[in-house]
Amino acid sequence: MYRFPSVPANSLLIVLALLSAGCTQDTSDKADKTIENNIASKNDPLAGYVDNRTGYYGYGSPATTEQITGWDIDVRPDGMGLPEGSGSVEDGETLYEDKCAECHGTFGEGEGRYPVLAGGQGSLKDARPTKTVGSYWPYTSTLFDYIHRAMPFTQPESLSANETYAVTAYVLYLNDLVEDDFVLNRDNLASVHLPNEGNFVADPRPDVANERCMENCRDPGEIKIVSEVSPSAAEQTSVQEGSASPGSAADSAGNAAQKHPGEGTYQQYCSICHAVGVGGAPKLGDVTTWAARIEKGIDTLIANAVNGVTSNTGVMPAKGGFAQLSDDEVAAAVRYMVEVSQ
Amino acid sequence: MSKSGKKDDFTLALLQSGDKLPQQERRRFLKKSLGMAGAITASGLAGNAVAGSKNTPPEVPPWSRRLGAGVLSNPYGQPSRYEANVQRRSVDWLTADRIASISFTPLGDIKGIITPSGLVFERYHAGVPEIDPQQHRLMIHGMVKRPIILTMDELMRFPSLSMVRFLECPANGGMEWRGAQMDRLQFTHGMLSCCEWTGVLLSTLLEEVGVDKGASWILAEGADGAHMSRSIPMEKALDDALIVFAQNGEALRPEQGYPVRLINPGWEGNTSIKWLRRLEIGDKPWHHREETSKYTDLMPDGTAREFTYVQECNSVVTFPCPEKPLAQPGKYFVEGLAWSGRGRIRHVDVSFDGGVSWREARFTSELTPRALTRFGLEWDWDGSPALIQSRAVDDTGYVQPTLNQLKAVRGTNSIYHKNGIHTWKILPDGKVSNVQIS
Repeated sequence: MYRFPSVPANSLLIVLALLSAGCTQDTSDKADKTIENNIASKNDPLAGYVDNRTGYYGYGSPATTEQITGWDIDVRPDGMGLPEGSGSVEDGETLYEDKCAECHGTFGEGEGRYPVLAGGQGSLKDARPTKTVGSYWPYTSTLFDYIHRAMPFTQPESLSANETYAVTAYVLYLNDLVEDDFVLNRDNLASVHLPNEGNFVADPRPDVANERCMENCRDPGEIKIVSEVSPSAAEQTSVQEGSASPGSAADSAGNAAQKHPGEGTYQQYCSICHAVGVGGAPKLGDVTTWAARIEKGIDTLIANAVNGVTSNTGVMPAKGGFAQLSDDEVAAAVRYMVEVSQ
Repeated sequence: MSKSGKKDDFTLALLQSGDKLPQQERRRFLKKSLGMAGAITASGLAGNAVAGSKNTPPEVPPWSRRLGAGVLSNPYGQPSRYEANVQRRSVDWLTADRIASISFTPLGDIKGIITPSGLVFERYHAGVPEIDPQQHRLMIHGMVKRPIILTMDELMRFPSLSMVRFLECPANGGMEWRGAQMDRLQFTHGMLSCCEWTGVLLSTLLEEVGVDKGASWILAEGADGAHMSRSIPMEKALDDALIVFAQNGEALRPEQGYPVRLINPGWEGNTSIKWLRRLEIGDKPWHHREETSKYTDLMPDGTAREFTYVQECNSVVTFPCPEKPLAQPGKYFVEGLAWSGRGRIRHVDVSFDGGVSWREARFTSELTPRALTRFGLEWDWDGSPALIQSRAVDDTGYVQPTLNQLKAVRGTNSIYHKNGIHTWKILPDGKVSNVQIS
């Protein structure tokens, strides 16, 4: 039960108290006192409740150390947040080839449009710079943090602390930043400095000063078109799936009805690998590659897609790594891919 | 409008803003355009409305002779089926896949300054998580006196407020530093939307947990697979950063961070973490991937700018544009959008000759800080080629720069924060191409 008869008015008091504290440059301790004085003033009907509540409103539960530890995954350049553990370049190589190379390439060169991880040092002033961990990133901690929070792409936050140290070490090795016998751990990570650390600067904008000229602002004779995209191309632009052609009255529900039931799942999930053939995935529409698989029968294909399968041509993670997909959704997507690829 | 039928102050101010046609010219213009309207109906519009249609005057269309669908035939309303072409679109070559990708708002089709929730541009780094709001938690911890975990119900019990603010990806326009290459407005400027956002001020939550002395940064982190994270300076948190649970009057769309997200008004969209699960208060920035490897601006000398938060003053003409060509020579009301992450728009000027001369446009929407602002002005197109540009000025006095001025300072490899004056070329047949000029 909440006995806050005049919550908005009191909340305003707090804000005002904070503002005035800021204006007079009070210390935060003082500001806190001001707040408490306001809350617990003699005229305040809430006097006496303050000590029992979290903050002013008292909403929410205290976060326990255990709860915080489960979610507090961030790492800072000074090493704050790094977990216990270590990993070697050698262990990292195995993990990298298993979990990373299909998108980032065996040597960190990047497959398709997936990020290049290695090389490019000295290219930042080039017309086409290559921004990698070795050429651009400022901190090793960022690499550890990102691998742990977001990689592998289809299975984020699945690597253990030791595995994360190992993959991080291997990416450093791919960039010639550590030797092949290097072992990365909580104590030495912050001391592995990346070459580009010193080249980040604070935002100096506004950095250009145009003038609001209204007449005779430039010589018309000097105006030349330096690049142009003709509007005829606009009509050829691949209008993406789900869009009706201009002027068409077909509603989206109508379009959906005509679509294969597995196409949506394919587009949303399977296409990540099967559109371009990442990790040995058979490409959609590649009749030859699909023929050998189709021979095994649709039930086998669906079972492999649902449960995962490893062959000498590549790896199909269970449901492509999207555990939230139902078996039926995966089956429909497989049927769609088979239909389009035979 | 007031009771007396007079226009209110705001409407008057809007009508009086910008470049006024002289009174006499205006009368002549009105007279002529009325005559013109008749001509258009005879030659153009009638044909437009489907040749040989039995549904235009004097015929009576079938929908006027029968009953339509009743209430609740569509419990959550949808746009007319004839609007099916108004939708977000993507450019496949931009990203490796559709999970970590972007789609664009159809700026040429939207009206006013509010972007409908279903048309707000999308940007995901690990797709859209499907979050059960009953099980979602927001944790606030770090340099605080009272670390807490809030349920959605608890969060929504705090005093909330609503503000109309734009949201723009800092990469908006970033494909065109080296030259024009997108063939429509949707792709040149469509990483831009504007909504009414409702939520709790971050400062309210910070007061609730009690921030320790020396705290100066906040890490915001998402519950998506990317655990998207950005470092936010305390100044912004105490200014107008909003913990948002509703957009345009309803719960956030999943694409926009359901059930809760951060909105940092006027700042690069990437900082407005979606699916917000955690706020950690600290004394230094975290230098995470999305504020080092990405969302930093590489300069010609090899240095890179970091923590470039503000989206500077920008504008674009939305009619005409490649998707909305001119049908024939004649009178037009040219329209566009202007916005500034630093505050309100003060002026917008439009040029039809590639920047030689400029006319001040009128505002056709309210002037809200850090929100889209709509402008327009009359133009009598005589059928000759034209180079249309818009140039916005915000209330700090900052004048939107030319693209060449930007490139002179930043080169062509900085990707982000391209807010240069944009040029559309009107071809003799009324079609519109995307150009860059010397």
